[in-house]
Amino acid sequence: MKSAVFRFRVMAIICGYLSLILWFFYMPAKYLFHLERTQPWIVWITHVHGALYIFYVLAALQLSVKMRKSIKGMIWMILGGTLPIASFVLERRVVKQNS
Amino acid sequence: MTIKLFGKALVVLTLVAIFGFLGLWQLDAANKLQEAKKVAPDPSVYQLSDLASPATALDSRSVGKKVSLRGNYILTFRAPNQSDQQELVSDWEVALMQVDQSSAVLVLRGYWKDRLTTPGVATSSDGVSTGVDLQAIVQPRQFDDVSTNSPGVISRVDSSVIVALTDLDLYDGFLLATSEQVSEGVIDRDRITLAPVESKATGYYWQHISYVIIWWLMAAIVIYLPFYRKRQESDTLSA
Repeated sequence: MKSAVFRFRVMAIICGYLSLILWFFYMPAKYLFHLERTQPWIVWITHVHGALYIFYVLAALQLSVKMRKSIKGMIWMILGGTLPIASFVLERRVVKQNS
Repeated sequence: MTIKLFGKALVVLTLVAIFGFLGLWQLDAANKLQEAKKVAPDPSVYQLSDLASPATALDSRSVGKKVSLRGNYILTFRAPNQSDQQELVSDWEVALMQVDQSSAVLVLRGYWKDRLTTPGVATSSDGVSTGVDLQAIVQPRQFDDVSTNSPGVISRVDSSVIVALTDLDLYDGFLLATSEQVSEGVIDRDRITLAPVESKATGYYWQHISYVIIWWLMAAIVIYLPFYRKRQESDTLSA
């Protein structure tokens, strides 16, 4: 259980920061300031987030099963990695439930 | 009970099908992207009418192809703040070339600063030039405004911004001039180079692949959920 919690916490924090960068830096840079043409490196933010989200989903799935979460709870844990701040909230909740 | 079970199975199958198709769609996009990178440049020179028709959306397969045509310039515009392949920002000279009785196409002739140093094309009092033999590359229209439309100035290289100025049918996209010849000889001026046009298949290969994995992972989770629920129920009963 401890290692599953640890894995989820690491992935939730990483994906949380990446979501913040994605929503509040990459999206405005691409759609408001059209920076993708002059600063093509910013697209790596989406690549990294996309790749790490796969591991976040696996970690969330494993922890949900171990914690015997309801299906609704499991879905929330999986979707948490796509929304800014949500994964931080989930990470804190998991820590509280397992302390 | 049976109806409820059937309903649940239907929901699961629908979700699995949706996620499965989303994965296939992303996989297809990734493959298209790979194929687009393999396409070799076409050395053939076409007639404009072989590749495009006036007042019709330009086929993406025509983009980047070389064309040869003869026509007369009837209007000239300045396209400010444009950037070329080297990302050098400058003003461009864009002219409307009448190619037959009823149609015209925009031609990106060169830099605005060179228009007087190399006039080349004689123009009559009504603004119509002498005949020009043009060699050019077909380009898609620009979508983003980089300046404001005003008399003689266009905000982007796109025939839709000048549609009110002429009765002629306009070709979609524009031609990037590589050579112009008049009866006096070849017009010698610097030509603009543009970055190769990106394929219609948008995105990046590994980005699409990561989405494929995510969608199919979601499909697998949906398949697993009924078994998970059953296991939870049996655990509750045994407890």
